[in-house]
Amino acid sequence: MKMVQTGMPAELKAFRMAAGGAGGGGGGRTYSFKVVLLGEGCVGKTSLVLRYCENKFNDKHITTLQASFLTKKLNIGGKRVNLAIWDTAGQERFHALGPIYYRDSNGAILVYDITDEDSFQKVKNWVKELRKMLGNEISLCIVGNKTDLEKERNVSVQEAEGYAESVGAKHYHTSAKLNKGIEELFLDLCKRMMETAQADERAKGNGASQSGASRRGVQIVDDEPQAAPATGGGCCSG
Amino acid sequence: MAAAALDSGMKPLQKAMKLASVAIQLDAGNKHEEANLEYLRSINYISQALLEDAAAQKSEMVPVEVQKMLRLAEQCLERVKSFAGKRVERSSAEVTRATLSASSGTAASAPPEKTAPHGASTASLEPPTRHRRVLSEGRGNASPFLPPEIFQKLQTAELQETKKELTPIEEASRLNQKLRANFEVRLARLPPGQATQKTSLTLSLQRQMMENLIIAKARQDALHRKMEERRLRLQEEANRRFASSGAATPEEQEQRVLYASILEYEQDHDWPKLWKARLKKNPNDFSQVSGLVSHLLSCPEHPIVKLLKNLQYRIYDRLYPLVSRCPAADSPLAMKSSLSAHNLQTESYSFPPAAAAQSRAGHTHSLSTSLSPSLAPYHDHNANREEGPLGEAPSLDREDSFEDLEQFINLLSPGCDPKLEVESYILDLEERALKDHLAAIVKDIHNAIDRLSSLCLLSFECLNTAVAKDQCVASLEEAFFPPLWSPLLALFRKVHRERELSYETSVRLFRNTTPSDIGVASKLFPKETSEHGCYPYESAVMELRLICKELCPQRKLDCIVRTLRLICACAEEYRSFHDPESPPKTAAIGADDLLPILSYVALRTELPQLVSECAALEEFIHEGYLIGEEGYCLTSLQTELHFHLITEDVAVPTGTCVRTPRCCKMVSETTRLARVRGEARLGKWRSGGGISLSVRQDRRCR
Repeated sequence: MKMVQTGMPAELKAFRMAAGGAGGGGGGRTYSFKVVLLGEGCVGKTSLVLRYCENKFNDKHITTLQASFLTKKLNIGGKRVNLAIWDTAGQERFHALGPIYYRDSNGAILVYDITDEDSFQKVKNWVKELRKMLGNEISLCIVGNKTDLEKERNVSVQEAEGYAESVGAKHYHTSAKLNKGIEELFLDLCKRMMETAQADERAKGNGASQSGASRRGVQIVDDEPQAAPATGGGCCSG
Repeated sequence: MAAAALDSGMKPLQKAMKLASVAIQLDAGNKHEEANLEYLRSINYISQALLEDAAAQKSEMVPVEVQKMLRLAEQCLERVKSFAGKRVERSSAEVTRATLSASSGTAASAPPEKTAPHGASTASLEPPTRHRRVLSEGRGNASPFLPPEIFQKLQTAELQETKKELTPIEEASRLNQKLRANFEVRLARLPPGQATQKTSLTLSLQRQMMENLIIAKARQDALHRKMEERRLRLQEEANRRFASSGAATPEEQEQRVLYASILEYEQDHDWPKLWKARLKKNPNDFSQVSGLVSHLLSCPEHPIVKLLKNLQYRIYDRLYPLVSRCPAADSPLAMKSSLSAHNLQTESYSFPPAAAAQSRAGHTHSLSTSLSPSLAPYHDHNANREEGPLGEAPSLDREDSFEDLEQFINLLSPGCDPKLEVESYILDLEERALKDHLAAIVKDIHNAIDRLSSLCLLSFECLNTAVAKDQCVASLEEAFFPPLWSPLLALFRKVHRERELSYETSVRLFRNTTPSDIGVASKLFPKETSEHGCYPYESAVMELRLICKELCPQRKLDCIVRTLRLICACAEEYRSFHDPESPPKTAAIGADDLLPILSYVALRTELPQLVSECAALEEFIHEGYLIGEEGYCLTSLQTELHFHLITEDVAVPTGTCVRTPRCCKMVSETTRLARVRGEARLGKWRSGGGISLSVRQDRRCR
């Protein structure tokens, strides 16, 4: 049985970073997604995410935790999306507690260095673990970084893409240095997470009995404050 | 002994009356201390005189005289009793206050002051924040926590002070007390021997008192009738509001009753209406929400506040038997105040045998108190709540079950030392029982806050928006947690003791390390250890230490966030110091850099209870917050606390300590355990089982 998120008031889910922008725009909802960034040290995940958040937005979008934890607000097809990007430590000694970082994640970005075969092996380990722990609920992106060093490539494109397909992940080529492929990577990931979330909603709407289909971690926030009706049993929610 | 007889000329009765009259005068003059003494003297005199008379060959006193003496003694005794009663009240308030002030560290040795204005608002429920200091200084056997009765008294003391209106009966009894005092004064002034006048005085007093009472009774009855009518009317109103659909669960019914009493309260008080209007006017001003809730919490008569106190008490009452006997709990803590190396070593090395002895000594008793949930897995703890402290229940066959256990284990493992086996088995059981208790209490706390917040939303519909609800819950938690936090933390510490101990070990191992020993990149800390004994990231260490001072989960979480922000700020500063060329604000601190620094900072705080504090936070922070910055910070700290011992790529400082084989074994063991735990946790979470998650699920389902 999976975790269900039944009666918990959606309002409580509004995490703080979203609270500031609650007033913006017409009705509809804001999706809040947690994306975890995995990969060995030195593969460039920090610069990747910094590139992404710096590029289009000015400095104030970078939180006071610098590159460790970043947030980004997007508008995709008229839907607002809040991204919380969690960096993880690449050092071996912190790996075993990965689970507490990636629990409740909607997406994972697994970064390797195309010049470093070993870092690709690490990605494979992560994929195994994530699939084991989170099943198919999480959208996986495998990212070969440092394409600016194509000459020193040690991981073949075919092998990497083939592997990604075999595990239901998408593969991307990026260069943080040249700022290539990063925007596409995140946009694509957001769309996939939204699809998953919408599929969940539909599943929930179709039949309440299918509680197994409702998926943990989809943070859908109704941010129009709605005055709850004064009558009825709704008052017992807490 | 001849005191009475020798007093020539005066009859014992006369002498006694004289003594008593002095006392009464003092009493009337509000000189209670002196009056008390005089009353006691009179009693003493009377009993002495009576004794002598009774022992004498032939009695000199006439029976009437004896009777009068006895009555007089009785009256004196009555007054003395009332003084004593007052003193008990006062001293219990004082004791608790003394404990509190002692626990705040400054006035540990100051005697309780009699002149302290007892019952003043300063007696607010300030929890024993730093009780551990007292413990470690005094090494006292006394429990660091107040017994539940006193806890409750402190709560109700607040209530009584603000109570202004008296019921008619109370009014009458006050009036009668005054009458009686006047009577006593008048009686004392009577010259001796005027029996008739005295009788008439007594009679008139009795008549007056009776009249007062009868009138009061009538008024009280009328009032009761009126109140009852109103209550019924309001209850109907409440029922209508709940759209009664026939069978209501006990909780629903309770909520209805509470709601009716809220309606009743609102008829008597104007402020709820005023606040409702104010919130209606500024629906988007969320500072009004916390204003409203804090005003609500300052009204002890409000049913929600009464419920809050009651729920607090119930939880305290469950916690107390679990944590009141926990001398071991402060052991890992000794580091904080007394960090001398010597002290530390004795502290931790002597610990295991001491603990074993401790638990051996406490077996029979602690088994009965702590095993109840696991011995009775289907035992409904809700039902138990009303019956006071847990653990009384399963004591019946304690001895038998103990013997059975021993036999059982003997059968299983004939080769081993049965005593040892039993012991470890019992320790294991105890541990599990504690965990179950903790889980149940955590669940109770969640339920309590849910009940309080839903009642708030019921009585103030204006709070029914996302942000307002959030604010309301936050304010409620801020009132709810502080008095409970230290016993709660004590229980968490008992449950997580092993982890705390191993954390303590690594604190000791890495005490003199530099950031580079922990794996911090060299550009992220200053090369020279600076003058004045400062060390890198000191401000972050200081900030993290403050976490123990906060008494509410959200505030503790804020403290962790501030710590991580400070770390990033310091790192940025150090980095730009190393490389002044690079542009400012490059914001390059990723998790790869952050976690080693956090390790360093957390070790530097030298607070093993961080382990338990974090475990508690994980239970009490709304998961809605856990996706954002707060969640990230908490997760990072937890990771650090789990992994402090995993040192493959860490150079252990040479010279400062040598890793013994024991330590090495511990390191690998902890690694393995942490791995298992991490997976187990996740597994639990996936299956929706598990302690914390089942709690949360419950909350969501309601």
